[in-house]
Amino acid sequence: MARSLWAGSISFGLVNVPVALHSAVRDLDVHFRQLHGKDGAPIETRRFCSEEDKEVPFEAIGHGYEEEGEDLVVLTDEDLAAAAPRKTRTIDIEAFVDVADVDPLFFDHPYYLSPVGEAEGNLRAYRLLVKVLESTDRAALGRFVLRSKEYLVLVRVRDDRLALTTMLFHDEVRPAKGIDTGGRKPAKAQLDAATKLIEALAVDWDPERYRDCYRERLLDVIERKRKGRKITAPSTGRAAGGPPPDIMEALKASLERVRSGEGFDRSEDDETGDGGGLEDLTRDELYERAQKADVAGRSSMSREELMEALSD
Amino acid sequence: MARSIWNGTIVFGLMTVPVKLHTATESKTVSFREVHLDDSSRIEHRRFCSKEDKEVPYKQVVKGYEIDDDTFVVLDKDEIAAAAGDGAHRIDVEHFVDVAEIDPIFFDRTYYLGAGEEGAGPYRLLRDALERTGRAGIGRFTFHDREYLTAVRARDGVLVLHTLRFADEIVPGSEIDVPKPGRGPGEREVKMAQRLIDTLHTRFRPEDYEDEYRAAVLAVIGRKRKGEEIVPEEEPAADDSADLMAALEASLDGARKGGR
Repeated sequence: MARSLWAGSISFGLVNVPVALHSAVRDLDVHFRQLHGKDGAPIETRRFCSEEDKEVPFEAIGHGYEEEGEDLVVLTDEDLAAAAPRKTRTIDIEAFVDVADVDPLFFDHPYYLSPVGEAEGNLRAYRLLVKVLESTDRAALGRFVLRSKEYLVLVRVRDDRLALTTMLFHDEVRPAKGIDTGGRKPAKAQLDAATKLIEALAVDWDPERYRDCYRERLLDVIERKRKGRKITAPSTGRAAGGPPPDIMEALKASLERVRSGEGFDRSEDDETGDGGGLEDLTRDELYERAQKADVAGRSSMSREELMEALSD
Repeated sequence: MARSIWNGTIVFGLMTVPVKLHTATESKTVSFREVHLDDSSRIEHRRFCSKEDKEVPYKQVVKGYEIDDDTFVVLDKDEIAAAAGDGAHRIDVEHFVDVAEIDPIFFDRTYYLGAGEEGAGPYRLLRDALERTGRAGIGRFTFHDREYLTAVRARDGVLVLHTLRFADEIVPGSEIDVPKPGRGPGEREVKMAQRLIDTLHTRFRPEDYEDEYRAAVLAVIGRKRKGEEIVPEEEPAADDSADLMAALEASLDGARKGGR
């Protein structure tokens, strides 16, 4: 288990459980290092005092706060820690809410909480919270300070563990006032046709269906470059441009295509159709076929593995 | 309303909806800059070559991907951008799903979508249809040279776009060690905890919660400006839950009296 990011306790009423915080997201992004072009050596960032032109050790750096027309105020780490000592150590639960009641707009970063230590009372209190939140389908709402920022947090159950999601405060969500929300109410026939098309394209939410193609392409670019091949940007795709000339016509034709199984080819290649070679399909398209064919273990298969399984 | 940060078209089937992307969230954290404690002057970050121990001008900095210890593949900006996709300003919606089915763990950032040029009719139609069906369009779009998985749904009369995390980025709960207690919580403890949750149950009203730390930090800044010394208040450490039942009973008493 990875090192925890924070340790403290979760407190509701007079029940207090020591817990550790772990990220629920792993960083799979492709990261680049800054290098010196001339000799390929990694770049180091060093902190310098702009006045003295001398390097400054980390301990000698403070937090400067500037406001217009006011003098600079410098705070040390200790000053900051004194701002709200309890909040930096305790997730204080203030209320319980229905998860469905919380708009996803507020969600920030997901974490897990694990109990700290082996003390029987703590393990039991953790278990109790898991059990009761799960059976009531509710989440605890609390607040705490992580890395010098206070978060509103939602604590719920996921995979038999307490899962914590940091959230934004209400004033960190901008009002939608001024956003252009379109024209007049659509005609009933149009709304019905659009609804039909949406339902025809509806599937169960299955996150395994979607792969990070960007990450795959980036790794592919790196591999080609390593082999000394030339990298060229793909040609710009068809610009989607403006609205359809006839909305009703576009909806009807779309629905017909979905119903006939023709689909919508988004690639630049010619349409492959159902009889086309598997090698022309994207991983998503292959996955969809694998789902129809009920291929076992499909969610963890790569594009090549899916092709192989489907051609059997 | 602020300017849009991206213009493009939502595409589903043969239907196209011109849209504009707007920022929906902003951090209100009190922000500081690094200063040298000795003389309160500004800290500068300077780039140094780790081999030559000499400062390197920004123009000489390149990006490298480490394939092995200290072995890098160098890519230029265009090569990295080549992975971004075709750069067409499109949000390609592949499917529609029930918004309620998407686990909170997948939501990353949120943006507002407004109607784009000549897009008033199609925008209103998509918005009304998504509102009626309670569905979100799942698609992909490229923003700042990077492709994102997104969910587009209707919220209070406005289309919003959430960027989503990919399934392989999510840590399964099984990777987090949670030792089981020797004896599970008893029936009385469960009942008592349920009652406590019922008593403290409320509708989620985001306006009820203010960032108190922000105010506390600003207060410390004010005191420091007046030259006061900042001493942390000592707080008694909270008891761990040795007697769970007693703690639950006392909490429930407190909650019923309206306190905490």
